[in-house]
Amino acid sequence: MQHGAMAAAENEVRDARPGRDAPYKDYVLDRAYDEMFAADGQVRPHCAALHRRLSELSADELTRRQQACEQSFLHQGITFTVYSDNQATERIIPTDLLPRIVTAKEWARVEAGLKQRITALNLFLRDIYSDCRVLKDGIIPRSMIYGSKHYRREMRGIAVPHGAYVNVCGTDLVRREDGAFVVLEDNLRVPSGVSYMLANREVVRRAFPGVFRAAGVQAIEHYPQELLATLKSLAPYQEDVSIAVLTPGVFNSAYFEHAFLARQMGVELVEGRDLVVNDNAVYARTTSGLKRIDVIYRRVDDDFIDPLIFREDSALGVPGLFNAYRAGNVVIANALGTGVADDKAVYAYVPRLIRYYLSEEPIIDNVETFLCRESASLSHVLANLDSLVVKAVGESGGYGMLVGPHASHAEREAFAEKLKADPENYIAQPTIQLSTAPTFVDGAVEARHVDLRPFILCGEKTTIVPGGLTRVALRRGSLVVNSSQGGGSKDTWVLND
Amino acid sequence: MLSRVADSLYWMGRYIERAEHSSRVLAVRLESMIEQSKEDADRAWARVAAALSAEEFAGHSHDAFAITSALSFSRINPSSLVSSLRFARDNARQAREQLSTEVWEHLNRLYLRLQPVTVESVWVHQPARLFRDVLEDLYTLEGVIFTTLRHGEGWYFVELGRYTERAQLVSRLLAIHFGAQANPELVPPPKYVDWLVLLKYCTAFEPYCKEHTAAIRPERIAEFLLFDAEFPHSVKFAIDRMREALAHVAPGAPPQRRALCERLAGRLKAAVDFGQIDELIGGTIDAFLVEITRQCEEIHEAVYAAYIAYGAETVL
Repeated sequence: MQHGAMAAAENEVRDARPGRDAPYKDYVLDRAYDEMFAADGQVRPHCAALHRRLSELSADELTRRQQACEQSFLHQGITFTVYSDNQATERIIPTDLLPRIVTAKEWARVEAGLKQRITALNLFLRDIYSDCRVLKDGIIPRSMIYGSKHYRREMRGIAVPHGAYVNVCGTDLVRREDGAFVVLEDNLRVPSGVSYMLANREVVRRAFPGVFRAAGVQAIEHYPQELLATLKSLAPYQEDVSIAVLTPGVFNSAYFEHAFLARQMGVELVEGRDLVVNDNAVYARTTSGLKRIDVIYRRVDDDFIDPLIFREDSALGVPGLFNAYRAGNVVIANALGTGVADDKAVYAYVPRLIRYYLSEEPIIDNVETFLCRESASLSHVLANLDSLVVKAVGESGGYGMLVGPHASHAEREAFAEKLKADPENYIAQPTIQLSTAPTFVDGAVEARHVDLRPFILCGEKTTIVPGGLTRVALRRGSLVVNSSQGGGSKDTWVLND
Repeated sequence: MLSRVADSLYWMGRYIERAEHSSRVLAVRLESMIEQSKEDADRAWARVAAALSAEEFAGHSHDAFAITSALSFSRINPSSLVSSLRFARDNARQAREQLSTEVWEHLNRLYLRLQPVTVESVWVHQPARLFRDVLEDLYTLEGVIFTTLRHGEGWYFVELGRYTERAQLVSRLLAIHFGAQANPELVPPPKYVDWLVLLKYCTAFEPYCKEHTAAIRPERIAEFLLFDAEFPHSVKFAIDRMREALAHVAPGAPPQRRALCERLAGRLKAAVDFGQIDELIGGTIDAFLVEITRQCEEIHEAVYAAYIAYGAETVL
């Protein structure tokens, strides 16, 4: 005992500093807010235990743990497929071993802000698909709604259970340089990533059991139960509710997640070809006969859900599904037509919508946004292309955007032409220095930019499991966290008080 | 259970069985060729190629390397070991939410482990060992399936697939070894080692010896592999399991939809319950084995029509 205590004292590591000591030798603090270090290089108190543990472990040991974690992802089949040279290779989505830590106090504010925001967005959706008060009152331009490619005329006048159009929402938050969380984007259609949140927790808890236990981390493992309860609350009756997850199939990059959620909830995972609609009711084809389905958690985009109403070339959907929905015989979550509210142009209006519907001030800010449809903004954007990020309104996943400071002169010139040709299609925002968090890179710990996507569930009530998916831009200096463009993910720890 | 998922589980069972059979036959064949003359070995390889329908992929050669290659790591041969494992895994992925994590990960690990392997890399150094290792993994997988899945409808679809495949694979091996009329050039000369190897292809050597002593007699071998009620790789055993599985799948289906499957399974069971080896060995064994295979296919069709691909309009 005595001897062990002495040895421990001798081995005690003094606090390593960024830019000087291993493993933080290459850790660069710049004007971005850093999750672990304050601007003067001091470790933030809630990160102290992790900080110390990392300086105790050798680079080899960290590498070994990182590999064990990648191996585990590969075996679980948490992969996406890359096609090249007629060869299909399976790759894992890179996962970083080091958790991103958020305090209980910060989280409480984020949680309140997200609930406020989703409440307003659901009221907005109900409004534009029924009375259109918000348009009559001139809060938001009609053309922005009726001109949106995600507006679904077919949804007019359809009653949605609990007024919850968006049942699963993944909101992207980033931290400004002053450390405040702001909303970058609302994902109201079929947001994905929640399985990575849960899988990351699984492997990181195994990699740092001691730090995890000592830190006191709020649990997230009940997400599937919460999702199930949310879906159940949408059904017209509560006995024997039959729920299914609708997936586009094994070739979809999020198939792992669809199967994972179905398995964790204990519900059927169906493809469009498993379902038939008869007399406006939806059935799944089972070995024993047809089985009625009451609630569909669909992971198929609006366009593909019913070839009779939307895209007729869709083989993923179910002919007649929309009529069954309209007849009230099946609930589809999320409702159709929610994409109109996560449009990047509508985004700019969300603070006004919160004030309009709730008579409250937004708890979480938006990122400052210039609507290129307004001529004053357009000239400002054109004059400042080198410092702005310009995004196409209807796109997501990091496509159709220009990151001004990182683009060449020629790229900016070309983009300016596109902007002038179709200003309504673009918005611009200042480049935000997303906060940085310690990330394991080649045997050392370096700063990489991160965002945070919490998952919000809305049915009879609104719930959010603490934390979410932290996405990380693995290339040094990069601000693009999308997995389609070189991003990875991290576990997110929301601490108990 | 969703029809599509039942279909995937059924095929997963079939492909796992096919992979197990291929790796065992290859391991036994490679181990036994050392004791054979070139001529005997060539003939034995030709029988293996014929039993596993690999002649075309081996360029109709009797060469050990060519046939091993076609049966193991050929991506073109849809029945090769790696193809079978790929299809088994693809089907497992389709039915992922019905499988346990243990089953999926075991199968996935095995698949990933064999991805970079080529026949050339295996050939230089005790190739039989690799197939033995794979076989061990597949035996473990069978145990993981048995012990971590609920023995409900899904599990019975896996069983149905496995034993339908096994009944046909063993019948095919027997047909090649006993089918004098169909393949005269492949009929083994009455050599001890060929019969012994046939037993080993079916893991039957030790169980056979316990039953009949080491006195190797072709008609006793045929009887054992066809009619033994207790040996898991006999045709009768496989057919009994098929029939049992059929009694447990689609528990909610109405009797009229079950009727045909059950009748066909009963008829097939009667053939092996009341078959007599002395009546067959005289010359009708070929026809008998062809009939077994045909009836297995008929059951497969009936299962599809009743439970998997039925028209929705027929049940509304």
